[in-house]
Amino acid sequence: MANASGTRLRALSASTRLAFLSFLADPQWVIPSTIAPVVFGFAAFELYRYAGPVLVLEAVLGAAMMSMWGQTLYGSGWATGQDRELGTLEPTLTTPTPYLWVVSGRVIVNAITGLVGGVLVYLVVAAAYRRPLPVEQPLTFAVLFIFVLLTLASVGVVLAAVYVYTRYAGFIQNFGEFAFYIGTGCMFPVILLPFWTNPIALLLPPTWALDALRYATLPGYVGFSWGLYWDIAGAVATTLIYIGIAGTIFRRVEQHVLESGNLGDY
Amino acid sequence: MEPPAIRIQDLTRVYSARKGFLFNEVVRTEALRGVNLEVRRGEIFGLLGPNGAGKTTLTKILATLLLPTSGRAEVLGLDVAKEAYRIRPRIGLVLGGERGLYNRVSGRENLRYFADLYGIELAGRDRRIDDMLQLVGLSDAADRRVEEYSRGMKQKLHLARGLLHDPEILFLDEPTIGLDPKSARETRKFVRSLVAGGVTIFLTSHYMFEAEELCQRIAVLTRGRIVATDTVAALRGLVGGDRTIELEGHDFEDAELDRLRRLPGVSRLLTEEFGPLERITLRVRGLEVDLPRVRSSLPGRPQIEIRERRTSLEDIYLDLVEEEAL
Amino acid sequence: MTVAHRASIWRTFWTNAVLAPRMSLGFMRADYVFGSVVIVPLTQMVFFATVASLAGNAQASVGYVVLGNAISTVTYTSIFSVCQTTDQEKNHGTMEHLLVSPANRVAMYLGRGVIPILVSLATVTVGLLYAALLYHVSFGGANFPFLALSIFLTTVSMVGFGLFLGGVALFFRTSIILGNIFLFAGLLLSGVNFPLSFLPPVLRVAGELFPLTWGVAAIRASVAGAGLATMLPYWGFLLLGTFASLVLAMALWGIFERRALATGSIVRF
Repeated sequence: MANASGTRLRALSASTRLAFLSFLADPQWVIPSTIAPVVFGFAAFELYRYAGPVLVLEAVLGAAMMSMWGQTLYGSGWATGQDRELGTLEPTLTTPTPYLWVVSGRVIVNAITGLVGGVLVYLVVAAAYRRPLPVEQPLTFAVLFIFVLLTLASVGVVLAAVYVYTRYAGFIQNFGEFAFYIGTGCMFPVILLPFWTNPIALLLPPTWALDALRYATLPGYVGFSWGLYWDIAGAVATTLIYIGIAGTIFRRVEQHVLESGNLGDY
Repeated sequence: MEPPAIRIQDLTRVYSARKGFLFNEVVRTEALRGVNLEVRRGEIFGLLGPNGAGKTTLTKILATLLLPTSGRAEVLGLDVAKEAYRIRPRIGLVLGGERGLYNRVSGRENLRYFADLYGIELAGRDRRIDDMLQLVGLSDAADRRVEEYSRGMKQKLHLARGLLHDPEILFLDEPTIGLDPKSARETRKFVRSLVAGGVTIFLTSHYMFEAEELCQRIAVLTRGRIVATDTVAALRGLVGGDRTIELEGHDFEDAELDRLRRLPGVSRLLTEEFGPLERITLRVRGLEVDLPRVRSSLPGRPQIEIRERRTSLEDIYLDLVEEEAL
Repeated sequence: MTVAHRASIWRTFWTNAVLAPRMSLGFMRADYVFGSVVIVPLTQMVFFATVASLAGNAQASVGYVVLGNAISTVTYTSIFSVCQTTDQEKNHGTMEHLLVSPANRVAMYLGRGVIPILVSLATVTVGLLYAALLYHVSFGGANFPFLALSIFLTTVSMVGFGLFLGGVALFFRTSIILGNIFLFAGLLLSGVNFPLSFLPPVLRVAGELFPLTWGVAAIRASVAGAGLATMLPYWGFLLLGTFASLVLAMALWGIFERRALATGSIVRF
């Protein structure tokens, strides 16, 4: 018998690779999650264009963030939904690799394609209005951009797990999009929202990461926390919580599938 | 002593589903009702049964995809409910059909992905994939997208994936369904060669001739129960004889049927109607009764059509399933 | 044995209005309808209203943006879902069976617009209620009969446009991308969030080809209490747009059928 004691990291890498190859086979799917942010970016820009350069930059940055979120939201559903649709759930679950690692690889690719979408949005909006984004701290910005991706991926894995449990994955995707744009303050500071919504916003890792990104990008920016490093700490803490939640839910998902045998039926 | 490939004791599986407007009505379906079974190492074991008999449920439980409600199932001596992660590297699952593959990438990429999920040694992985592709005859199409494959090619890729990690037990679900006769024959030949290499095969199929040709032992599952388990030869005895005599005619009378029933060696008489035509099937033990003797027991019917054949697995299967339904 | 059958345009229309969407379209599910009618108008409105309040642009006030978004949410059902009508048939493998049936194509296709029109009407109504209750948009001076007619013509025209896009989607592998583009284009090109005068001339012309632009203008005018003379051109454009969309949709369907027959390419598209 061949050595079947595969490492989880290898499974993660295999899943990432396959998801990337599948994406390359049909890259047009980045468009649906990019078109909305491009349009919202333009719309917000039109509204902000007479309100000062900082808000304009915020619109461009927010549109990129929304694109990344769109890809995460839809990609996470597909991360588990594809196994139902393609009938690959059974062969995948009979491997010795826990399903969480398979899904995580797909979510990472979603986050990376989200990054492509985000850069695309930035380029389109910035080029169309001839307003390049002058970044305050370029190196910090680049590191934080990757960091935003990781926070989105952590939410993506939790979403993917939730999608397994519910037959309303499409519902959450279609109607959670705007709620997230509002909740994380993509286009405006979250303090503009009613006070009761703030705790919800602060429970989302991308809210902190986006605030940190703005500190590194926008001159004189004052966010909702005490500064860049507080934002980073908040994002790390919430991301870890999400990863923990994802792990717990996936263990329960596998148990649920074994007990009910109906994952494919939803 | 080495444990058997599969051992099942008093296995039950009940599905519960909520229905009704407020989902307050619980509907319970008993898919398996006290199944007992043992599969030896290195044999091809066939599981037959009508649709909804519980074949898929049993296969899923053994492949660690579903938990039993009660009872115990062991694969290679390991408990499917508690030791799934130790069983999985040692079994292969081939569900077949058009689905179950990543269509947008090549056959080779599909195999590479699963090789990594199974943790096949990196040093030998690519060679192993090449070997498997060659074994199933897909080497030339290895780098084409799966969506371009014919149904037969997909079936071959399913087989290659199931064998990739060199499993000790292979669960095969309808391995030749939808294949053209030539491909189906090749697949059966291939399955036989696997057993020669020491693999245990657990086969579910609707094709009786296929099960008869391949399987050393067969279990018939109907309504969640195993109604018979044995070799095809022994099952012939169970349903009343290895010879079958069929008579076709019109309006057989009760007295004629009684005469046929009383012939020596006739253990069973079945009647079927096909429009105006009536068919009488006799299961016969021994050689005492031959066609002239049957014909002479129906003196007023010179035109009657009579033929004899060996009792097939399909006959056995239908007898057992019908008996259970009564 | 022969089974008596009689081709009935009405029966074809009715079956496609009621049964076909339930079989093939996701938006017939209760959760989707709830989301389209209740949640999307709210979240989209809150998002753009908050952006507008931060921008403080006099020409695109919060009230202006709120009213525009209340109407534009009609696109989710009328464009995105209706556009997928033919797409779903291809995915489910039922397209061939539709093509071999003797059913009247116009009745079959138009029937599929009925339920979306009803859902769209509900969506706009709820959106306008949100505008009034949450953002205190005044309907005091509105001409309600004109408003009702404008809403109706807007939804019919948008569903017609969705059917046209469904016809275009026949020639693509998927309609999702096409649907997404037109789903959001309205937010930019139709005077939903800011006046068309903000746009470069080329985009302004593109916006005027989109029925939502005339629908938004008609509804804004009727809320402001405009008279018949003002409303008639808007309604005229909406009716003309509906007619043009349906003619184009049927033409595309015909081209697709002829091409499918010639090349056997129904599934491949």
